[in-house]
Amino acid sequence: MVKLAGAFLVMTAGTLIGFAQAARYAARPRQIRELLHALKRLETEIAYGQTPLPEALGRIGAAVAVPLRDIFVRAASLLRDERGTTAEACWREAVETGWPDTALREAEKEAMLRLGTSLGASDRADQLKHVRLAMAQLEAEEAAAREEQRKYEKMCRSLGMLGAALVVILMV
Amino acid sequence: MTRLDRLFEWLPVSLCDVLERLPEPVKERLEEIRIREGRPLEIGYDSRSTFVTPDGVETDDYRLAWQPDREVCRALLERITRHSLYAMEEELRLGYITVPGGHRIGLAGRTVLENGAVRRLRDVAGFNVRVARERIGCSAGVLPGLLDLAAQTVRHTLIVSPPQQGKTTLLRDLARAVSAGDWRHPAARGWRGRKVGIVDERSEIAACENGVPTFDLGPRCDVLDACPKAEGVMMLIRSMSPEVVVVDEIGRPEDAEALREALNAGVRVVATAHAEGIDDVLSRPVLRQLAAEGLFHAYVILSRTAGRVTHRIVTAEEALAGRWRRQAPRAGAAPRDAPGAGGFLPPAVSPPGASGFRPGAETANQIPCQGGNHG
Repeated sequence: MVKLAGAFLVMTAGTLIGFAQAARYAARPRQIRELLHALKRLETEIAYGQTPLPEALGRIGAAVAVPLRDIFVRAASLLRDERGTTAEACWREAVETGWPDTALREAEKEAMLRLGTSLGASDRADQLKHVRLAMAQLEAEEAAAREEQRKYEKMCRSLGMLGAALVVILMV
Repeated sequence: MTRLDRLFEWLPVSLCDVLERLPEPVKERLEEIRIREGRPLEIGYDSRSTFVTPDGVETDDYRLAWQPDREVCRALLERITRHSLYAMEEELRLGYITVPGGHRIGLAGRTVLENGAVRRLRDVAGFNVRVARERIGCSAGVLPGLLDLAAQTVRHTLIVSPPQQGKTTLLRDLARAVSAGDWRHPAARGWRGRKVGIVDERSEIAACENGVPTFDLGPRCDVLDACPKAEGVMMLIRSMSPEVVVVDEIGRPEDAEALREALNAGVRVVATAHAEGIDDVLSRPVLRQLAAEGLFHAYVILSRTAGRVTHRIVTAEEALAGRWRRQAPRAGAAPRDAPGAGGFLPPAVSPPGASGFRPGAETANQIPCQGGNHG
């Protein structure tokens, strides 16, 4: 009886780990897409609205979904309230703090931090170039992420379950 | 919170720390804060300037002064542009930014040219913060001299002075007095205030926040904020039916065109211009033409000696005839064409210019403000 319960627990845990890993593979391309939408919006705010950065980021934050929202909202409030820091520092802090909650990887973070170094610090044409560059990088990452998702998502799920089954068999 | 405190909010912490340590009387009269990258911090008050040590002590020895570094300047520029240079292209082209509270911050740096015209500034390394001051009642000595008794309103007026003499401060209070009906003249008792339209190209006169003036401009004032003067004057006339239009710092040909339009629409104009005196007005092409056309009926010339702002009023006829040279300053003078207005005072010996006032007349002429700002 105890054995059966133990085996059941191991199976559940293994399956869940597999599913969680698979969800990460599925979430990454989705979040990259959201990030792309957010940058598209930023582009519009800069090009047509000429909205100051704190407001622009605040508006974007209100429009995107949760793990990414925190990054934009935090950056906006830092820009509004912090005295004597630069936009780059505010952006970096927001990205660093919010990143662990996302499914995004180092490559996307690099792109975002690079965008931060020029954020707000040049004229409109130049800003748009930087935003578009970041978008191009994200698009490349998105393609790679989708490829990974296709390859590994299902595999992770089955691997979790099969690994658990292996452990159970070995223990029996 | 005072207007100065609100200015300090816009400055980087390290700079603010130094300025906060200045003695209170100095802070109260502060007119200019000059921040230059890697060079000593300079402040201006009461028409003089000194350097400031890191402890907030005034010094004439610039080597002891606090020096803002690159970080401070970058943070300052980012803060006053709200981290958005792309949204400030027009301001960077013109070389100044106005922050909430009506304080204007002039910029110096390297210009970027495009087809030979200045496109914007980059590498900004010099800032001149001009502290805006509200001096309610500072126009009391001037306004009675500018009244058109027949039409029960103010005459077409041009206020001239070099920078830093308080033109904008005076203009602001004139707008307030006219819109509130605070005429300060016995014959004007019972006159109503007039509808005033202000074209506030640099957001200095009214210091609007979200469209609402933060300076007291009386009850009958409409402000077109951050609007080019020439276009703004036309917009006001078309849409807001002003009786008096107030504009700051005219001098471009299109400004003149708009003012002519206002004149023909039966609207009174009160404007300011940079000039040392009437001679300068008559030597600047656009102003000369306006003066020759008789657009302005009165000129107010501001000058400052020993921290006191003094003014005198010259009528158009005197200006054109060159008679103003002999004209002694007259305090609160009724218009020349007004009933009961006296004849000319005996000619003053002193030449025109900053200190060309007779001591006796000067005291009577002082505008009750010290260190008004925004020339």
